[in-house]
Amino acid sequence: MLAEFSSVLRATMLGIQLGMTLALVAAGLTLIFGMLDVINFAHGSLYMIGGYLGVTIASQFGSFWLALLIAPLAVGVVAAAIEVFGLRALYGRNPLYHILLTFGIAIMVQGLVVEIWGGQSLRIEAPEMLSGTVSIGPVQYPVYWLFVLAISTVLIAAVWLMIDRSDLGILMRASAHDTEMVDALGIDVSKVFTGVFVFGAILAGIAGVLLGASRSVSPGMGFGVIIEAFVIVVIGGLGSFKGAVYGALLVGLVTAYGALIAPSVTDIFLFAMMAVVLMVRPNGLFGATEAA
Amino acid sequence: MGLLDAFDPREASPTTDGILTNRGRFGVLALIAALAVLGPIAASVRPFWLYLLVQILAFALLALSLDFVFGYAGLLSFGHAAMFGAGGYAVALLVTHVTPNALVVLPAAVLTGVVVAAFIGWFSVRARGIYFAMLTLAFAQIFYVAAFADLPASLLGVETVTGGDNGLVGLAALEAFGVVDLSSRLNYYFLTLALVALSLLAIVRIANSPFGRVLQGVRENEDRMAFIGYDVERYKVIGFAISGGFAGLAGGLYVPFQSLAQPQLLHWTLSGELVVMLLLGGLGTLWGPMLGAGVVILLEEQLSGFTAWEVILGAVFVVVVVFAPQGLAGVLVSLRDDPKDTLGKVRDALANYREKVLK
Amino acid sequence: MSHDSETSTGSRKPTNRSASTTSRRRFLAGSAAVGATALAGCAGDGGDDTLTVGHVLPTSGTYALLGESIMNGFDLYLEQNDGQLGGYEVETVQRDTSGDTDTGVSITREFLVEEGVDALVGPVSSAVAIAMMQTVQQESSAIWLNANAGDYRVTQDGCMDLHFRTSFNDWQTSAPLAQWVYDNVADNVALSYADYAFGQNSKTFFQEAFEEAGGEVVDEIAAPLGTEDYSPFLGDIEDSGADAVFSFFAGGDAVNYITQFSDFGLDENLTQTGSGFLLSEDTLPAQGEAALGKYSLLHYTATKETDRNQTFVSNYSGEFDRQPNVYACQGYDSAQALDIAASNADSTDASDLAAALSGAELDSPRGEFSFDPGTNEPLQSMDVREVVEGDDGVENEVVATIDDIELPDWGCSL
Repeated sequence: MLAEFSSVLRATMLGIQLGMTLALVAAGLTLIFGMLDVINFAHGSLYMIGGYLGVTIASQFGSFWLALLIAPLAVGVVAAAIEVFGLRALYGRNPLYHILLTFGIAIMVQGLVVEIWGGQSLRIEAPEMLSGTVSIGPVQYPVYWLFVLAISTVLIAAVWLMIDRSDLGILMRASAHDTEMVDALGIDVSKVFTGVFVFGAILAGIAGVLLGASRSVSPGMGFGVIIEAFVIVVIGGLGSFKGAVYGALLVGLVTAYGALIAPSVTDIFLFAMMAVVLMVRPNGLFGATEAA
Repeated sequence: MGLLDAFDPREASPTTDGILTNRGRFGVLALIAALAVLGPIAASVRPFWLYLLVQILAFALLALSLDFVFGYAGLLSFGHAAMFGAGGYAVALLVTHVTPNALVVLPAAVLTGVVVAAFIGWFSVRARGIYFAMLTLAFAQIFYVAAFADLPASLLGVETVTGGDNGLVGLAALEAFGVVDLSSRLNYYFLTLALVALSLLAIVRIANSPFGRVLQGVRENEDRMAFIGYDVERYKVIGFAISGGFAGLAGGLYVPFQSLAQPQLLHWTLSGELVVMLLLGGLGTLWGPMLGAGVVILLEEQLSGFTAWEVILGAVFVVVVVFAPQGLAGVLVSLRDDPKDTLGKVRDALANYREKVLK
Repeated sequence: MSHDSETSTGSRKPTNRSASTTSRRRFLAGSAAVGATALAGCAGDGGDDTLTVGHVLPTSGTYALLGESIMNGFDLYLEQNDGQLGGYEVETVQRDTSGDTDTGVSITREFLVEEGVDALVGPVSSAVAIAMMQTVQQESSAIWLNANAGDYRVTQDGCMDLHFRTSFNDWQTSAPLAQWVYDNVADNVALSYADYAFGQNSKTFFQEAFEEAGGEVVDEIAAPLGTEDYSPFLGDIEDSGADAVFSFFAGGDAVNYITQFSDFGLDENLTQTGSGFLLSEDTLPAQGEAALGKYSLLHYTATKETDRNQTFVSNYSGEFDRQPNVYACQGYDSAQALDIAASNADSTDASDLAAALSGAELDSPRGEFSFDPGTNEPLQSMDVREVVEGDDGVENEVVATIDDIELPDWGCSL
């Protein structure tokens, strides 16, 4: 009985932590979709670049913290280049063509990563002060994993507040809702687009560094995370940040509990859950009804 | 705003009245004839070409089946691998346990595709745009996991059904009542070519039929079609099931040719690659995606000896989508209409790009 | 511009392969006008004085490092022999399987039908190997040096005279460890493994041998291939109450599993053992200190202090600026096996090569081994290694060597 309780507790903590880090990845995806209708297959690549740059910075300078600071910003620069030289050329056209563009970019990034860092799995060294485990009830839990849980939660809360309360957040939501109106107010919408794209990429880059020290960093991680992120965004409702957070928590918990119940078919639970959500609410949990 | 609005027919299909003009049909017939002649030549000069051609034809058929719902009816399926793989596995299982008779297994592949697509479609058509896309992807991934983990074996209590991650291998060659030997590469090529040509004919006919017009109407304005009394969801499910039949046939042709049915046939990356073939070739033109399939397969085959070939392949996609808005089909059509001004068009495309990027 | 392997060595150093490469490839790289490309060029064999080798290996995706290491090892041996094997000029062709089974089959077919190769080297993935069997058998035009794919079914279901395992089989990297664990570690274990054919085989082979030795298996924990967070599975292992664990994980899975095993503090009460891929040269740098004190079984260990191995290690690191791994050794031995086959046979004919290699002995960096004439499986010693602190991060140290292992024949008798 005690054993079962500890398993459930451990899975719950993993589920919440996964939920929060996946929310960091999914946030950018959903915001970008809300504003630009861009189906960004390269978003997972941004997460992956974050992990790899984190590995390089952490090993060059021996500092996890520096990696956590610099790598996401560098991912932001990469994202700005993708937006300006790639996506921008396609605005105004059928958004489906973004699939081809971003799919192409994702393939290129995967090939480049193997060229630069090699095919083997790498890892970011977690800081010494976060090593070891703590007891939470009957469970020994690594301090670093708790740190990831805490910092992701704080970040998500901060982003939530910003989108909900700040002028910038209101502008973002307004641009997503009615681009022409914002444009008519004399605000350069294309700058807002670039800003949101880069912002989403930085969040994904942070997730890449954070998870790069608890999981490994490998060339497949970009394509690995993208479907999870799409599932989250769709469950939550395209364009809804709030939806992405709830969706990520659901996905994280289902993944963690699934591993306890029937590991080999966990993905089936995940997709079945999404199917059920969409059958009940065809626009996701928090999707705008007109954004079909 | 939303993806459905994005299906502006002018952008989605360069040929505005009906699929394939008379000139287009003539071109397709000529191409089929050329391929029929190429077969025996390839067989004697470079037998490997036959393998490549069969592979291209199978994927061209798959791309065609997807374009029928994706480009033409506006249903963004990200799960066509499900029907492709299901058709393939159906053939593999039949060949292993029942009969290698092509006249049995290929219709079974079509039927499997239809059933799987009807099932997925029935659950998915209420959702639109990306939501529909993700639902189809989800169902396809469920099939993938079921094949990889060999779920049917656990459910039936037998040792193996799908062969798990190794898949089903060493399949016997197809035959037809002992009359036609389909283990011959050339015969198999002719069979594939004939079935792909017939499928193209059938899909063009369906697309131009009243049923097809309704599907097209659904793409252009679903609410209007519903308002004037069409049962839109039923049309969509039927359209999806028809497409699934052709996808199943493509899988049914591909699997015995590779002598292998494996879970990757059901994986979302195959569906994704297929969408790339469509967009690269030219959405909604039917022949463009088939061309796209050929180009992608040839590129992958040719590039895979390079280091960093993925970088090159990805760059090709990026360049095409940025500079050739209507895919390869659009490029070919504009070359045909106005071959003299090619240089001017390139200049225009570059200027257009510069303007958009630097604005 | 040629598409040949020479243009695709990438981070690998170029080696002096045959001079006939320029005539080999056919298509202009730039010509995307696809229909026309297929018309240029010439097919086939490099002629009677040339031995054509096709690498059916991944250079992208999850297994990229493995494929590259095998090619490096092969190249090293080739270079040491002035680009010749058994007196024949060697010409290599290479295509990326990406680890995908369908691609692997297509490439095998292309190498056999189009390129007319005399030898196939590879693949990495067992699923690819199993799918290749039929094509290799049907064409029967090349000897197959299986440089990594260890699934016993290739012998059980294939039992092909053309197939030689220059690597290992999954029985060898699991079962022989059972007696050693029972004698030296614990009489009860939990089993954890990646839930796909190779992991399942390894688990079953170890379990059979461990129970035969008198031990008890208290729990089995299967984690899906590609799992990233092992905490629920680690909880199950902890709750099983076992004193030791035997595991099969490889590559990124091994990195995640081992580091999280240590992060969750399981080291305190459990001894981790496993198949050698759990703790090998390609995973140890990322696993770091988390790997310390863990045991594994493999046929090659880069730190092994034999003269033969030390020479290999210094040659390899001189050439490629990094330590060799087990895959590099397997690539090296594939070249060596082909050398022996070609010089004994004095022919490039597949069945001559195979007949000449049957039962042959190889002086490998891993130690001497020979091919079992009944199955063409390698009869080799296995090293039990413990991960210890080295001069340059953690490394494996051989703590025991298991000799004279009697291999099952899985009903194959050639």
